[in-house]
Formats: sequence, C-alpha cells, structure tokens
Amino acid sequence: MAMRDLVTGGAACAVPGATSSSNPLGALANALVGSSSKTQERLKEIPTTPGTSGSVFPDFGQQVGLPGSELDQQQFLPPSARGSEFLNQFRAVDHGGFNDAWDDIHRPQGRESVRFQEFDNIYNEGVGSQHQPILDGPPQRVLSHFLHSFVESSRSGVPLHPTPLPVLGLSEGDKRCIRDRSGIMARHIFADKSEDFINAQVNALLSSLDIDNDLRMKGPSRFQELDEYWNESQGAMNRAALPSDRWVSEFQQQRPVVDPNAWAHAFEQQHGANGWASEFEQEQNQMSLMNPMGAANAPNLAAMEQTRMLAETMSRNNDPKFQNSKFLQFVSKMSRGELIMDDNQVKSAPGDWASEFEQQHDVGGAWANQFARNEASVGPDGWANQFSAELGEHELGGDQWVNEFSKLNVQDWADEYSNQVENGVFEDNAADNWAHAYDEFLNEQAAFKQDASRGVYVFSDMNPYVGHPNPLKEGQELFRKGLLSEAVLALEAEVLKNQDNAEGWRLLGIAHAENDDDQQAIAAMMRAQEADPGNLEVLLALGVSHTNELEQAAALKYLYSWLSNHPKYRELAFQEPSNSLHYADVTNLFNEAAKLAPDDADVHIVLGVLYNLSREFDKAIEAFETALKLRPRDYSLWNKLGATQANSVHSADAILAYQQALDLKPNYVRAWANMGISYANQGLYEESIRYYVRALAMNPKADNAWQYLRISLSNSSRTDMLKACSDRNLDLLQKEFPL
Amino acid sequence: MADSTAPKLKAEALFDLMKLHLATEAGKETAKKVGYVYQLNIAPKKIGFDEQIYIIDLKKGEIIKGPTEGVKPDATFSFTDDDFIKIATGKMNPQIAFLRGAIKLKGSLAAAQKFTPDIFPKVSKL
Repeated sequence: MAMRDLVTGGAACAVPGATSSSNPLGALANALVGSSSKTQERLKEIPTTPGTSGSVFPDFGQQVGLPGSELDQQQFLPPSARGSEFLNQFRAVDHGGFNDAWDDIHRPQGRESVRFQEFDNIYNEGVGSQHQPILDGPPQRVLSHFLHSFVESSRSGVPLHPTPLPVLGLSEGDKRCIRDRSGIMARHIFADKSEDFINAQVNALLSSLDIDNDLRMKGPSRFQELDEYWNESQGAMNRAALPSDRWVSEFQQQRPVVDPNAWAHAFEQQHGANGWASEFEQEQNQMSLMNPMGAANAPNLAAMEQTRMLAETMSRNNDPKFQNSKFLQFVSKMSRGELIMDDNQVKSAPGDWASEFEQQHDVGGAWANQFARNEASVGPDGWANQFSAELGEHELGGDQWVNEFSKLNVQDWADEYSNQVENGVFEDNAADNWAHAYDEFLNEQAAFKQDASRGVYVFSDMNPYVGHPNPLKEGQELFRKGLLSEAVLALEAEVLKNQDNAEGWRLLGIAHAENDDDQQAIAAMMRAQEADPGNLEVLLALGVSHTNELEQAAALKYLYSWLSNHPKYRELAFQEPSNSLHYADVTNLFNEAAKLAPDDADVHIVLGVLYNLSREFDKAIEAFETALKLRPRDYSLWNKLGATQANSVHSADAILAYQQALDLKPNYVRAWANMGISYANQGLYEESIRYYVRALAMNPKADNAWQYLRISLSNSSRTDMLKACSDRNLDLLQKEFPL
Repeated sequence: MADSTAPKLKAEALFDLMKLHLATEAGKETAKKVGYVYQLNIAPKKIGFDEQIYIIDLKKGEIIKGPTEGVKPDATFSFTDDDFIKIATGKMNPQIAFLRGAIKLKGSLAAAQKFTPDIFPKVSKL
C-alpha cells in the first residue's frame, strides 16, 4: 500500500469500524485530536519538544511526547496487543488520551496490523521490524519490548518518556548492567542528538525500569560521580570550543570502527534485527544465574574510575596546549566509558559490549571457560582471579560485586595524584608528557597489532611478486644483492605459493632478522621448522631470535635442539628426552662438542649465543672471536660479536665490529640499528639518531628502531622532530639527520 | 644465570645489562638525572602473583634483588614481566599502561613520571 493511499484513502484502505473510513491517517489524526477533550486541552499546553528531527512524522512525535501524560495513565497493556510496532511505540511513550484514541481505531483488531504494517516500514525507514512486540506476558518480553522502544526512539527522535511498567523483578545486577549499558549505548545511538536529549532518554528509560533512584541510594556513588563528570566535561569541552566530534572522527580514522553505527549494524547482522533487546533478554537469563558481565567488566570499570579522576585532575591544568590535547580528550572519553582499553586495544564501548556478548553466547553452556578467557583477556588483575575463584563456589550478588570493585583501591592513588598536583610537584613539562602520551599511544597501537599476532606471520598487503614465475629464485637473488625488504616480498610470494617450502620460510626468516624484525623472523622460522623440523640453520636462528627477545627458556630449547639434531653431536645429547632443560647442562654439552670438533665454527657460534643467555659476556665474546677466525667473512657473526660487546658495555669495540659487518653487507639493517643503540647507550643521542634513521630508511617496518629513535629524539633536545617520528616521515628525518 | 628450571623473568636479563650500564659514564649520568629509588614488583603472568621484587636505586646507581629492609622507594610499580619489558624498551607508554591497568603505582608521582625507557639500556641484537 502506498503512502498516498493512506492519506487519500484508497479502496484498499477501508477501516472497518473507524470514524472516517476513507482516510486512515485522517482517522488517526481525528482520533488523536478529537476523541478526547482531555487530550485537546493537553495539546494546547504542549511545550516545544526539543530534539525531534529526522522523523517521517515529526508532528506526531511531538504530540506523542505529552509531558506529564504518563501520570494519568490508567491502562496501557491491552491483552495480546499484537499491533504494529509504530503504534505500540506510541503506546510505550504516551499513555494518556492517546490511548483512548488508539482504542477507538484499534478495537476491531486484525486488519489494522496489516494496514499499519506499511506505516511501520515507513516509520522504521526501511529497517523493517521483524519482532513482535508484546507489552504483557513474561517480564522479559516486556523488558525486551521496552528496550526496543528505547532504541526505536533514536530513529524518530521521539523522546521516550518514563513509563510505568509492570514489576519486572530485575535484580540489582540486572539494573546496574542496564544502567551502565544504556548510558553508553545512548551516546552512540543518539550520536546526532543533543546531550540534553540523551540524558532525558536515558533517564526516562531508567526511571521506567525503576533503576536510577534505587542504585543511587544503594550503590556506590561512582555512577553519580560519573554522570556529574560527564556533564562537567561537556561543559568544559564546550568552553574550550572543542567539538568532541572532531576528535571522534579523527580517532575513528585510526581505528577500524569507522561508522558510528557500525556497532548496531554488526550486531544486527549477528543477532538479527532484534539485536540488543533480545540479547538483553538472553543476558538476563544468564544473569539470573550469575553476574558474568559485571565480572568481565570490572577491570574496565576500574580503568574508567581511574581515568575519570585522572581526567578531572588533568582538566585543572590551565595550560591551553594541554587543555586542547587529544590525550586529555582521550582520557575523558575513557572516563566516560565510551572507550575501553581491552588487552591493549582501544574499543569503543558498545563494540566491546557486542563482542563480549558473542563470547558469552556462542559457546552456550560452557560459561566457566568463557569467563576464564575473558579473564585472560582483561589482563593481569589479581582481583579477577579471586573473583573467578569465588564464582566457582557460589553465586555473587550485586552488592558483593560492588564491594569487590571497591577493593581495587583506585581512590587512594587518585587522591594522592590530586594532592601532588595541587602541591605543584610536577615540573613544567609534565603536561607535555601527558600530551605526548597520546601520540605515543597511537604508535603503540601499531606495535601491539603485531604483538597480538605473535608467532603468526603477517604478510605484506601489496606484493608485486605474487604471480612471479619463480619467486624463490628472485628472493634469493634479491637477498644476495642485499635488498632485504624486496627479498622479503619475493619470499613471501614464494611461501604463499608453496606453503611448505622450508627454504623459502628460512630465508624469509633470515631476511627479517637482518632487517631487525625478530617478531617476523620468529614467525617465519617457526613455519620453516614445521616444514623441516631438523633444519639446523632454522634451529639456530630461532635460538638467536628468542635470545634477542629475552625469552630465555625458548632460546635454550632451540639451541639444545640444534645439538640433538646435529648428525655429528647427536650422540652427546641426553639419552632421555628432558622437558626441563638446565642451562649449565646444555652449555656443558656444547663445550664437549667444541672439544670434539674445534674447527666447527657453528659450535662456537651456538656457545656464544648460550653465553649471551647467561650474560657471561666475556666467554661469549671469546666464542664468537674463535668462530670469526674460522669464518672471517660472516657479517652476521661480526654483528653478534658487536652486540655482545655492546651489551657488556664495550661500546667502542662494538662499533668496530659493526663496522666490519657493514663493510661486508652495507644494507645490514640490524647492524645499523645496533650502531644507533651503541651510541645511545653511551649517551651520544645525536649520533644514534643518524644511525636509527639510516636503518629505518632501509626498513621502515623496523618498529624497534622507531621506538629507539623516539627515545633518542626526546633525549637530544630534538623534540621538534618527534612529530616527524610519529608520522614516520622518513624524508624529513633523513634530510634533518644525514649520515 | 642460576642453574634452575624456574621460569626466568625477562626483567632479570635486562637488569643484568642495566647493572653493567649503570657503571658506565652514560649510565651514571642517567641515574643522576633521575635520582629516585624505584621498587618494581614484577610478576611472571599476573600482577600480584609470584612477584619478584627489585629495587632500582638511581640515587646510588644500583639494582638490588628484594625484598630488602630499610630501603624506602620513592615509587613502587607492579606489572607483569612482559609489560615491564615493553615499557623499558619504549614499546609501551607508562601513562597509557597505567590507564590500562597494566601498572599499579604507589608513591610519588613526580618520581613515577621519571620512570621512562630513558633509564634502561637498550639491548643490542645478535
């Protein structure tokens, strides 16, 4: 049925039993305005309702939002009201005279639901309503519907008004959960609305559910404080003429979540259009058992609390540079729970919520496992551990949970922080520190991405060598020429083509190690080892890379595997396979091997690495020097000697050794970066910068070098170049710091 | 390294390097610039569990394996081994780590503010 028909009243539009049979819209309007004198009086008193926009029927929206009309609500839950969402929406928000009008046209039930279906579709702007709202029945259905109304009201801009609902029997935990979530949700789904509107919406929702007052009395004051802070910070931001949107959009450019509605879409895709409300229902079922959401959220709440107080203190700093800093805004956002730090990733809160739901619902019954996983992902919190132990034993009521929360003791620190700030302990550049922290944070995000996928090889996005007839040969050729980054691409193409090519993975690993990227080197070498478990070069490379990452147990394991897989030294290995290797035993084995074959440079190299593990640097240097006599043109051996000397603070020697390595292999990124480290450790920051920049020019993906460059820049009074560093502007850096 | 199969902290390796570094001119210079005493509670996996205590005394330029009597740190940090290494190598900003709850902090904030990657030697790569 077309809209036109609704207005003009087509043949298909007959409204049985209605006063005006030819025009359904007219009938509705008449009924609205005319059927009740009470309603008419009230209509005259309607103040302008703020924030209505985007609705197909804005006027209806305003009329529906009769202030105070809920007070004389008599009956708003007709039995089996299977009418349209649109009209139920009205019912949910206005229970005054409109109900009479509704009853007038609605009494002959049945056809209307068909007729108003299209109305629905128009109303929902094509979103469609797949759910069948019911306002009576089991409490969960009512709640579900009510929450739907809340969400729906975002589409129309119709203010939601407090609604007396039947007793739903929500527990404290339920209420807290709804309260937490709805506030956060509202700021996202009503992103285009004013703050007043959002607050009104949330308050209407909460007071209808009888949540607000209850919690404020019984619960800790944190929510109230949070609200106050929110209002306060909004004021502060307006004063500073800082539209938070600007920050949001900027932030979103950095983050995968671009569309503010992405949460809603993603959620609907996964859970159907019923999305939030039905999930809420499910959650309720779960919460009647325990309170897993609260538990999983506790560290986030703690972080929120911390950041709130931090933001408050920080906002007292009058430095305009600081006030305008993205970092302060970032902290503010976190403090409002709009952003959540979770396992090193920042998420906008509802997204996090959705994924949390997924985690919790996908596996159904195995809740305990879920919690364990959550616990792992939310980080090292002794409290979480304690909580999980308690959960295993008995149900935790909401109040207990609150008590647990308060044990997190964030208050102590915040108090101290405030005191100290007020006493002026900070130096002038304290604000700068915090302001820079934001930039650094963005860099960290890049680094963490890598970290999260530890052990998993990360392929380059664009690879011109894919489709090359013989990428392995090409890769070997490029490697020989010293074009490491190019060689990496060609070798990636090779292992994409032949996933079990041990040589492809091995050389790829070597290329990454020489390119100063141990994470990728380890990932590639692990694939090489899978394909060829006994490959000695691979085992040694894994031992070296793990040593560099200070992962001593793993390093020891691979170095021992080198010996136990070596045809010549195999018989030296322990007769019984040992799960717990003792460092001294392994070293002894290699010393025996060295006696057996004093001319095998490899044994001396492994010994040198082993002594690095135990920080017996003099012995390590001796071992590498012995190996170098046997293999003087091994550039990686020169670098190993240099690094050992540098770590044992013989920096001048180290630089000579690196120089040897670079003479043999000018594009050896690792040696360039190590040069930088040696200078930096001697306090020669200006010098170190040039070497870091040189290394980065050859491999912009060498994250360690970027981090070290930042440290050197801030130590060398070249903070003016910090921005170039965060932007990874190599052209500028190379021009500024030529070698 | 002791002959032990107990899981080794990466922090321990770094502290061994740092002890050497603090004996150099550059190391002494750095220590002098900072001049605070830090206590680090480093946990292998979870903050508060199996923590190893280290005192980084940048007044005297030494590192002591704790717990020790009579040392009053200006600031005490608790973190996991991994997070500590990230902070010490510049991979993680201490302020952000704090916001994330990855650092628990007690004591003087002025001292805490000076706890940066600058005080740690950079590890050269084999």
